[in-house]
Amino acid sequence: MSVAELKARHVAATETVNSLRERLQQKRLLLLDTDVVAVAGYAKAHGKSSVSFGATDLVCCRTLQGHTGKVYSLDWTPEKNRIVSASQDGRLIVWNALTSQKTHAIKLPCAWVMTCAFSPTGQFVACGGLDSVCSIFNLNSPSDKDGNLPESKMLSGHKGYVSSCQYVPDEDTHLITSSGDHTCVLWDITTGLRTSVFGGEFQSGHTADVLSVSINGSNSRMFVSGSCDSTARLWDTRVASRAVRTFHGHEGDVNTVKFFPDGNRFGTGSDDGTCRLFDIRTGHQLQEYYQQHSDDEVRHVTSIAFSISGRLLFAGYSNGDCYVWDTLLAQCIAGKIWPLFLKGNGKCTHMPFWLF
Amino acid sequence: MDDSLPSPGEPRREDQHRTPSPSTLLPKTQPSGFYGKHRLAAAISNLQNQINYLQEELDQLEEIGEASIVCKELISSVESIPDPLLPLSKGPTNINWDRWFKGAQNSRKRWI
Repeated sequence: MSVAELKARHVAATETVNSLRERLQQKRLLLLDTDVVAVAGYAKAHGKSSVSFGATDLVCCRTLQGHTGKVYSLDWTPEKNRIVSASQDGRLIVWNALTSQKTHAIKLPCAWVMTCAFSPTGQFVACGGLDSVCSIFNLNSPSDKDGNLPESKMLSGHKGYVSSCQYVPDEDTHLITSSGDHTCVLWDITTGLRTSVFGGEFQSGHTADVLSVSINGSNSRMFVSGSCDSTARLWDTRVASRAVRTFHGHEGDVNTVKFFPDGNRFGTGSDDGTCRLFDIRTGHQLQEYYQQHSDDEVRHVTSIAFSISGRLLFAGYSNGDCYVWDTLLAQCIAGKIWPLFLKGNGKCTHMPFWLF
Repeated sequence: MDDSLPSPGEPRREDQHRTPSPSTLLPKTQPSGFYGKHRLAAAISNLQNQINYLQEELDQLEEIGEASIVCKELISSVESIPDPLLPLSKGPTNINWDRWFKGAQNSRKRWI
Protein backbone atom coordinates (compact mmCIF):
# COMPACT_ATOMS: atom_id res chain seq x y z
CA MET A 1 0.00 0.00 0.00
CA SER A 2 1.36 3.43 -0.89
CA VAL A 3 1.88 6.26 1.57
CA ALA A 4 -0.93 8.17 -0.11
CA GLU A 5 -3.32 5.26 0.38
CA LEU A 6 -2.25 4.89 4.01
CA LYS A 7 -2.82 8.59 4.60
CA ALA A 8 -6.30 8.31 3.12
CA ARG A 9 -7.06 5.38 5.41
CA HIS A 10 -5.76 7.39 8.36
CA VAL A 11 -8.07 10.29 7.53
CA ALA A 12 -11.03 7.93 7.17
CA ALA A 13 -10.28 6.18 10.46
CA THR A 14 -9.96 9.55 12.24
CA GLU A 15 -13.35 10.59 10.88
CA THR A 16 -14.89 7.34 12.10
CA VAL A 17 -13.44 7.87 15.57
CA ASN A 18 -14.82 11.42 15.73
CA SER A 19 -18.23 10.32 14.51
CA LEU A 20 -18.41 7.49 17.05
CA ARG A 21 -17.42 9.89 19.84
CA GLU A 22 -20.23 12.22 18.85
CA ARG A 23 -22.72 9.37 18.81
CA LEU A 24 -21.56 8.35 22.28
CA GLN A 25 -21.97 11.86 23.58
CA GLN A 26 -25.49 12.11 22.16
CA LYS A 27 -26.40 8.74 23.60
CA ARG A 28 -25.15 9.75 27.05
CA LEU A 29 -27.14 12.97 26.92
CA LEU A 30 -30.27 10.93 26.27
CA LEU A 31 -29.52 8.87 29.38
CA LEU A 32 -29.29 11.98 31.54
CA ASP A 33 -32.93 11.80 32.46
CA THR A 34 -32.82 14.29 35.29
CA ASP A 35 -33.35 18.02 35.09
CA VAL A 36 -30.40 20.39 34.99
CA VAL A 37 -27.40 18.11 34.99
CA ALA A 38 -27.87 14.80 36.78
CA VAL A 39 -27.20 14.89 40.50
CA ALA A 40 -28.27 18.46 41.31
CA GLY A 41 -31.54 18.07 39.44
CA TYR A 42 -32.30 14.73 41.03
CA ALA A 43 -31.38 15.94 44.53
CA LYS A 44 -33.55 19.06 44.25
CA ALA A 45 -36.45 17.05 42.88
CA HIS A 46 -36.20 14.82 45.95
CA GLY A 47 -36.28 17.65 48.43
CA LYS A 48 -32.61 17.85 49.34
CA SER A 49 -31.49 21.22 50.60
CA SER A 50 -28.01 22.64 50.37
CA VAL A 51 -25.52 22.48 53.20
CA SER A 52 -25.13 25.94 54.63
CA PHE A 53 -22.22 27.27 56.59
CA GLY A 54 -22.35 30.14 59.03
CA ALA A 55 -19.60 32.74 59.09
CA THR A 56 -17.64 30.87 61.76
CA ASP A 57 -18.41 27.31 60.72
CA LEU A 58 -15.14 26.71 58.87
CA VAL A 59 -12.29 27.71 61.11
CA CYS A 60 -8.57 27.40 60.85
CA CYS A 61 -7.44 24.88 63.43
CA ARG A 62 -3.78 24.49 62.50
CA THR A 63 -1.21 26.52 60.59
CA LEU A 64 1.97 24.68 59.65
CA GLN A 65 4.83 27.10 59.23
CA GLY A 66 8.27 26.22 57.99
CA HIS A 67 8.47 26.10 54.21
CA THR A 68 10.12 29.04 52.50
CA GLY A 69 8.67 28.45 49.07
CA LYS A 70 5.42 27.43 47.39
CA VAL A 71 3.98 24.17 48.63
CA TYR A 72 3.15 21.98 45.64
CA SER A 73 1.83 18.85 47.27
CA LEU A 74 0.96 17.26 50.57
CA ASP A 75 -0.29 13.93 51.81
CA TRP A 76 -1.64 12.47 55.05
CA THR A 77 -0.79 9.16 56.71
CA PRO A 78 -3.73 6.73 56.76
CA GLU A 79 -3.97 7.31 60.54
CA LYS A 80 -4.51 10.97 59.72
CA ASN A 81 -2.03 12.23 62.28
CA ARG A 82 1.00 13.15 60.13
CA ILE A 83 1.50 15.09 56.95
CA VAL A 84 4.30 15.21 54.39
CA SER A 85 4.57 18.38 52.30
CA ALA A 86 6.77 19.18 49.28
CA SER A 87 7.89 22.66 48.45
CA GLN A 88 9.71 24.69 45.84
CA ASP A 89 12.24 25.43 48.60
CA GLY A 90 13.61 21.97 47.80
CA ARG A 91 12.46 20.20 50.95
CA LEU A 92 10.03 17.63 52.14
CA ILE A 93 8.76 18.34 55.63
CA VAL A 94 7.04 15.73 57.76
CA TRP A 95 4.68 17.20 60.36
CA ASN A 96 2.86 15.94 63.39
CA ALA A 97 -0.43 17.43 62.28
CA LEU A 98 -1.97 17.48 65.74
CA THR A 99 0.89 19.38 67.42
CA SER A 100 2.18 21.20 64.29
CA GLN A 101 5.72 20.02 65.13
CA LYS A 102 8.13 19.11 62.34
CA THR A 103 9.57 15.62 62.69
CA HIS A 104 11.71 15.59 59.50
CA ALA A 105 13.02 18.18 57.07
CA ILE A 106 14.44 16.36 54.06
CA LYS A 107 16.67 18.25 51.67
CA LEU A 108 15.99 16.95 48.18
CA PRO A 109 18.65 16.28 45.54
CA CYS A 110 16.37 18.00 43.02
CA ALA A 111 14.55 21.09 44.24
CA TRP A 112 11.88 20.94 41.53
CA VAL A 113 9.56 18.65 43.35
CA MET A 114 5.94 18.38 42.21
CA THR A 115 4.45 15.61 44.30
CA CYS A 116 4.84 13.67 47.53
CA ALA A 117 3.13 10.78 49.22
CA PHE A 118 3.16 8.91 52.52
CA SER A 119 3.43 5.13 52.53
CA PRO A 120 0.58 3.17 54.16
CA THR A 121 2.67 2.27 57.24
CA GLY A 122 3.96 5.83 57.53
CA GLN A 123 7.55 4.63 57.45
CA PHE A 124 8.38 5.94 53.96
CA VAL A 125 7.72 9.04 51.91
CA ALA A 126 7.97 9.31 48.15
CA CYS A 127 8.42 12.36 45.97
CA GLY A 128 8.99 13.21 42.33
CA GLY A 129 9.34 16.15 40.00
CA LEU A 130 11.30 17.58 37.11
CA ASP A 131 14.17 15.12 37.59
CA SER A 132 11.81 12.39 36.17
CA VAL A 133 12.62 10.18 39.14
CA CYS A 134 10.47 9.06 42.04
CA SER A 135 12.61 9.08 45.21
CA ILE A 136 11.81 7.08 48.32
CA PHE A 137 13.01 8.04 51.80
CA ASN A 138 12.92 5.82 54.89
CA LEU A 139 11.98 8.07 57.80
CA ASN A 140 13.56 5.65 60.28
CA SER A 141 16.98 5.76 58.59
CA PRO A 142 19.84 7.63 60.20
CA SER A 143 20.96 10.85 58.52
CA ASP A 144 24.26 10.93 56.64
CA LYS A 145 27.31 12.88 57.78
CA ASP A 146 25.85 16.13 56.41
CA GLY A 147 22.66 15.64 58.39
CA ASN A 148 20.64 14.72 55.28
CA LEU A 149 18.34 11.74 54.98
CA PRO A 150 19.65 9.61 52.10
CA GLU A 151 17.33 8.24 49.44
CA SER A 152 16.54 4.60 50.13
CA LYS A 153 15.39 3.99 46.54
CA MET A 154 15.23 5.83 43.26
CA LEU A 155 12.60 4.76 40.76
CA SER A 156 13.99 5.66 37.35
CA GLY A 157 12.39 5.02 33.99
CA HIS A 158 10.04 7.85 33.24
CA LYS A 159 11.02 9.91 30.22
CA GLY A 160 9.34 13.02 31.56
CA TYR A 161 8.63 14.79 34.83
CA VAL A 162 6.84 12.95 37.63
CA SER A 163 3.66 14.95 38.27
CA SER A 164 1.92 12.82 40.86
CA CYS A 165 2.51 9.71 42.96
CA GLN A 166 0.45 7.60 45.31
CA TYR A 167 1.23 4.41 47.25
CA VAL A 168 -1.06 1.47 46.65
CA PRO A 169 -3.13 1.22 49.87
CA ASP A 170 -2.02 -1.42 52.39
CA GLU A 171 1.32 -1.93 50.65
CA ASP A 172 4.57 -0.11 51.24
CA THR A 173 5.96 -1.99 48.25
CA HIS A 174 4.02 -0.54 45.32
CA LEU A 175 3.18 2.91 44.13
CA ILE A 176 1.76 4.53 41.02
CA THR A 177 3.19 7.59 39.32
CA SER A 178 1.94 9.85 36.54
CA SER A 179 4.29 11.61 34.17
CA GLY A 180 4.88 14.19 31.50
CA ASP A 181 5.89 11.27 29.25
CA HIS A 182 2.13 10.49 28.80
CA THR A 183 2.23 7.36 30.95
CA CYS A 184 1.37 6.11 34.42
CA VAL A 185 3.58 3.46 35.97
CA LEU A 186 3.02 0.89 38.68
CA TRP A 187 6.35 0.37 40.48
CA ASP A 188 7.69 -2.49 42.57
CA ILE A 189 9.68 -0.48 45.08
CA THR A 190 11.59 -3.50 46.40
CA THR A 191 13.23 -4.15 43.03
CA GLY A 192 12.94 -0.58 41.73
CA LEU A 193 11.44 -1.92 38.51
CA ARG A 194 8.29 -1.02 36.60
CA THR A 195 5.61 -3.68 37.05
CA SER A 196 3.30 -2.08 34.47
CA VAL A 197 3.29 0.92 32.16
CA PHE A 198 -0.14 2.37 31.38
CA GLY A 199 -0.24 4.10 28.03
CA GLY A 200 2.79 5.09 26.05
CA GLU A 201 3.88 4.87 22.47
CA PHE A 202 2.64 1.44 21.53
CA GLN A 203 -0.39 1.29 23.76
CA SER A 204 -3.72 3.02 23.91
CA GLY A 205 -3.51 5.65 26.62
CA HIS A 206 -3.23 9.36 27.24
CA THR A 207 -2.00 11.41 24.33
CA ALA A 208 -0.43 14.18 26.40
CA ASP A 209 1.20 14.77 29.79
CA VAL A 210 -0.50 12.98 32.67
CA LEU A 211 -0.86 15.31 35.63
CA SER A 212 -2.58 13.39 38.38
CA VAL A 213 -3.47 9.93 39.66
CA SER A 214 -5.87 8.68 42.30
CA ILE A 215 -6.17 5.08 43.47
CA ASN A 216 -9.58 3.70 44.43
CA GLY A 217 -9.68 3.32 48.21
CA SER A 218 -12.31 0.57 47.92
CA ASN A 219 -10.59 -1.40 45.17
CA SER A 220 -6.88 -0.75 44.89
CA ARG A 221 -6.68 -2.41 41.47
CA MET A 222 -8.45 0.59 39.96
CA PHE A 223 -7.04 4.05 39.53
CA VAL A 224 -7.87 7.14 37.54
CA SER A 225 -5.54 9.55 35.79
CA GLY A 226 -6.01 13.09 34.49
CA SER A 227 -4.13 14.58 31.56
CA CYS A 228 -3.37 17.54 29.35
CA ASP A 229 -5.32 15.67 26.65
CA SER A 230 -8.46 16.89 28.49
CA THR A 231 -9.54 13.40 29.48
CA ALA A 232 -9.57 11.31 32.60
CA ARG A 233 -9.00 7.57 32.24
CA LEU A 234 -9.88 4.68 34.47
CA TRP A 235 -7.32 1.87 34.63
CA ASP A 236 -7.25 -1.68 35.93
CA THR A 237 -3.71 -2.45 37.12
CA ARG A 238 -4.01 -5.94 35.67
CA VAL A 239 -4.58 -4.57 32.16
CA ALA A 240 -1.97 -2.07 31.07
CA SER A 241 -2.69 -2.21 27.36
CA ARG A 242 -5.80 -0.05 27.43
CA ALA A 243 -7.84 2.09 29.77
CA VAL A 244 -11.06 0.58 31.09
CA ARG A 245 -12.84 3.79 30.16
CA THR A 246 -12.01 7.27 28.92
CA PHE A 247 -14.00 10.21 30.28
CA HIS A 248 -14.48 13.15 27.95
CA GLY A 249 -16.09 16.46 28.74
CA HIS A 250 -13.42 18.80 30.02
CA GLU A 251 -12.21 21.49 27.65
CA GLY A 252 -8.74 21.89 29.06
CA ASP A 253 -5.98 20.11 30.98
CA VAL A 254 -7.30 17.85 33.71
CA ASN A 255 -4.97 18.92 36.50
CA THR A 256 -6.36 16.87 39.34
CA VAL A 257 -8.39 13.69 39.87
CA LYS A 258 -9.67 12.24 43.14
CA PHE A 259 -11.73 9.15 43.87
CA PHE A 260 -15.00 9.72 45.67
CA PRO A 261 -15.18 8.10 49.12
CA ASP A 262 -17.54 5.30 47.97
CA GLY A 263 -15.12 4.25 45.24
CA ASN A 264 -17.76 4.27 42.50
CA ARG A 265 -17.21 7.85 41.36
CA PHE A 266 -14.39 10.26 41.00
CA GLY A 267 -13.96 14.01 40.76
CA THR A 268 -11.81 16.04 38.38
CA GLY A 269 -10.54 19.62 38.20
CA SER A 270 -9.44 21.32 35.02
CA ASP A 271 -7.96 24.36 33.31
CA ASP A 272 -11.46 24.95 31.92
CA GLY A 273 -12.40 26.18 35.39
CA THR A 274 -14.81 23.35 36.15
CA CYS A 275 -14.82 20.40 38.49
CA ARG A 276 -16.80 17.36 37.42
CA LEU A 277 -18.07 14.18 38.99
CA PHE A 278 -18.01 10.97 36.90
CA ASP A 279 -19.47 7.54 37.58
CA ILE A 280 -16.98 4.74 36.87
CA ARG A 281 -19.44 1.96 36.13
CA THR A 282 -21.66 3.77 33.66
CA GLY A 283 -19.23 6.42 32.49
CA HIS A 284 -21.85 9.13 33.05
CA GLN A 285 -20.79 12.65 33.91
CA LEU A 286 -22.98 13.17 36.97
CA GLN A 287 -22.32 16.79 37.75
CA GLU A 288 -20.37 19.87 36.80
CA TYR A 289 -19.26 22.47 39.36
CA TYR A 290 -18.67 25.88 37.87
CA GLN A 291 -19.29 29.44 38.94
CA GLN A 292 -19.57 32.20 36.38
CA HIS A 293 -17.64 35.35 37.16
CA SER A 294 -18.06 38.80 35.69
CA ASP A 295 -14.35 39.50 35.36
CA ASP A 296 -11.75 38.07 32.98
CA GLU A 297 -9.62 36.49 35.67
CA VAL A 298 -8.38 33.02 34.76
CA ARG A 299 -9.39 30.36 37.27
CA HIS A 300 -7.90 26.96 36.58
CA VAL A 301 -8.78 24.25 39.08
CA THR A 302 -5.45 23.07 40.47
CA SER A 303 -6.47 20.76 43.27
CA ILE A 304 -9.56 19.04 44.73
CA ALA A 305 -10.48 16.97 47.76
CA PHE A 306 -13.70 15.42 49.06
CA SER A 307 -14.82 15.42 52.67
CA ILE A 308 -15.13 12.02 54.29
CA SER A 309 -18.75 11.50 53.17
CA GLY A 310 -18.26 13.11 49.79
CA ARG A 311 -20.88 15.75 50.51
CA LEU A 312 -18.30 18.53 50.32
CA LEU A 313 -15.91 19.15 47.45
CA PHE A 314 -13.02 21.48 48.17
CA ALA A 315 -11.48 23.05 45.08
CA GLY A 316 -8.33 25.15 44.87
CA TYR A 317 -7.92 27.53 41.94
CA SER A 318 -4.92 29.08 40.22
CA ASN A 319 -5.83 32.57 41.43
CA GLY A 320 -5.53 31.43 45.05
CA ASP A 321 -9.24 30.97 45.73
CA CYS A 322 -10.56 27.92 47.51
CA TYR A 323 -14.24 27.12 47.15
CA VAL A 324 -16.37 24.57 48.93
CA TRP A 325 -19.06 22.91 46.83
CA ASP A 326 -22.09 20.94 47.97
CA THR A 327 -21.56 17.95 45.66
CA LEU A 328 -25.20 16.92 45.64
CA LEU A 329 -26.75 20.32 44.96
CA ALA A 330 -23.82 21.70 42.91
CA GLN A 331 -23.88 24.92 44.91
CA CYS A 332 -20.88 26.84 46.07
CA ILE A 333 -21.42 27.13 49.81
CA ALA A 334 -18.22 28.86 50.85
CA GLY A 335 -15.63 30.70 48.87
CA LYS A 336 -12.31 32.47 49.17
CA ILE A 337 -11.63 30.70 52.45
CA TRP A 338 -8.30 31.70 53.84
CA PRO A 339 -6.34 30.76 55.77
CA LEU A 340 -7.78 27.30 55.72
CA PHE A 341 -6.67 23.93 56.94
CA LEU A 342 -8.75 21.18 55.48
CA LYS A 343 -9.07 17.74 56.87
CA GLY A 344 -11.02 15.60 54.52
CA ASN A 345 -10.94 11.90 53.96
CA GLY A 346 -7.22 11.67 54.36
CA LYS A 347 -6.31 14.18 51.69
CA CYS A 348 -5.99 17.92 51.69
CA THR A 349 -6.25 20.40 48.93
CA HIS A 350 -3.18 22.20 47.73
CA MET A 351 -2.42 24.66 50.47
CA PRO A 352 -2.72 28.29 49.49
CA PHE A 353 0.71 29.81 49.41
CA TRP A 354 -0.01 32.62 51.83
CA LEU A 355 -0.15 30.16 54.73
CA PHE A 356 3.64 30.01 54.73
CA MET B 1 8.95 33.23 48.22
CA ASP B 2 10.82 33.56 44.97
CA ASP B 3 8.24 33.90 42.21
CA SER B 4 10.91 34.64 39.63
CA LEU B 5 11.93 30.98 39.49
CA PRO B 6 10.19 29.01 36.74
CA SER B 7 7.17 27.11 37.93
CA PRO B 8 7.25 23.33 37.51
CA GLY B 9 3.83 23.75 35.99
CA GLU B 10 5.29 25.36 32.87
CA PRO B 11 6.81 22.33 31.12
CA ARG B 12 3.45 20.67 30.54
CA ARG B 13 2.17 23.65 28.58
CA GLU B 14 5.20 23.50 26.27
CA ASP B 15 4.97 19.73 25.92
CA GLN B 16 1.32 20.00 25.01
CA HIS B 17 2.04 22.44 22.22
CA ARG B 18 4.84 20.23 20.97
CA THR B 19 2.72 17.07 20.78
CA PRO B 20 3.12 16.03 17.15
CA SER B 21 0.16 15.38 14.87
CA PRO B 22 0.34 12.10 12.93
CA SER B 23 1.44 13.89 9.73
CA THR B 24 4.49 15.36 11.45
CA LEU B 25 5.64 11.92 12.54
CA LEU B 26 6.96 11.33 9.03
CA PRO B 27 10.71 12.03 8.86
CA LYS B 28 11.78 14.58 6.31
CA THR B 29 14.50 12.61 4.55
CA GLN B 30 13.33 9.16 3.56
CA PRO B 31 13.48 8.56 -0.20
CA SER B 32 11.59 5.29 -0.09
CA GLY B 33 9.05 6.40 2.57
CA PHE B 34 9.50 3.00 4.26
CA TYR B 35 9.90 4.39 7.77
CA GLY B 36 6.92 6.72 7.22
CA LYS B 37 4.72 3.81 6.09
CA HIS B 38 5.39 1.92 9.28
CA ARG B 39 4.50 4.92 11.41
CA LEU B 40 1.31 5.50 9.46
CA ALA B 41 0.35 1.84 9.68
CA ALA B 42 0.89 1.91 13.46
CA ALA B 43 -1.22 5.06 13.75
CA ILE B 44 -4.00 3.45 11.71
CA SER B 45 -3.85 0.35 13.89
CA ASN B 46 -4.16 2.57 16.97
CA LEU B 47 -7.17 4.33 15.46
CA GLN B 48 -8.76 0.97 14.63
CA ASN B 49 -8.37 -0.04 18.30
CA GLN B 50 -10.06 3.20 19.34
CA ILE B 51 -12.90 2.49 16.90
CA ASN B 52 -13.36 -0.94 18.47
CA TYR B 53 -13.36 0.46 22.02
CA LEU B 54 -15.83 3.21 21.08
CA GLN B 55 -18.14 0.68 19.43
CA GLU B 56 -17.94 -1.52 22.54
CA GLU B 57 -18.85 1.46 24.71
CA LEU B 58 -21.81 2.30 22.46
CA ASP B 59 -23.01 -1.27 22.76
CA GLN B 60 -22.62 -1.18 26.55
CA LEU B 61 -24.71 1.98 26.72
CA GLU B 62 -27.67 -0.06 25.52
CA GLU B 63 -27.47 -2.02 28.76
CA ILE B 64 -26.58 0.55 31.41
CA GLY B 65 -29.15 2.42 33.39
CA GLU B 66 -30.10 6.02 33.26
CA ALA B 67 -28.38 8.66 35.34
CA SER B 68 -31.21 8.86 37.90
CA ILE B 69 -30.45 5.35 39.15
CA VAL B 70 -26.86 6.33 39.79
CA CYS B 71 -27.90 9.62 41.43
CA LYS B 72 -30.13 7.80 43.89
CA GLU B 73 -27.26 5.52 44.86
CA LEU B 74 -24.87 8.46 45.21
CA ILE B 75 -27.18 10.36 47.56
CA SER B 76 -27.73 7.28 49.66
CA SER B 77 -23.99 6.68 49.92
CA VAL B 78 -23.21 10.28 50.90
CA GLU B 79 -25.94 10.49 53.54
CA SER B 80 -24.92 7.24 55.21
CA ILE B 81 -21.38 8.33 56.19
CA PRO B 82 -20.84 10.57 59.25
CA ASP B 83 -18.91 13.69 58.27
CA PRO B 84 -17.28 15.97 60.88
CA LEU B 85 -17.11 18.91 58.48
CA LEU B 86 -20.87 19.11 58.04
CA PRO B 87 -22.91 21.31 60.38
CA LEU B 88 -25.28 18.39 60.87
CA SER B 89 -24.21 14.79 60.53
CA LYS B 90 -25.38 11.35 61.52
CA GLY B 91 -23.53 9.19 63.95
CA PRO B 92 -22.12 9.27 67.47
CA THR B 93 -19.54 11.83 68.50
CA ASN B 94 -16.11 10.61 67.52
CA ILE B 95 -13.46 11.71 70.00
CA ASN B 96 -10.74 11.18 67.40
CA TRP B 97 -12.30 13.96 65.36
CA ASP B 98 -12.96 16.23 68.32
CA ARG B 99 -9.26 16.52 69.15
CA TRP B 100 -8.85 18.57 65.95
CA PHE B 101 -11.54 21.05 66.91
CA LYS B 102 -10.33 21.88 70.42
CA GLY B 103 -9.56 25.55 70.61
CA ALA B 104 -11.84 26.35 67.71
CA GLN B 105 -13.92 29.45 68.18
CA ASN B 106 -17.19 27.63 68.64
CA SER B 107 -18.41 24.09 69.01
CA ARG B 108 -21.33 24.20 66.65
CA LYS B 109 -20.94 20.59 65.63
CA ARG B 110 -24.23 18.83 66.14
CA TRP B 111 -24.60 15.09 65.94
CA ILE B 112 -27.96 13.56 65.16
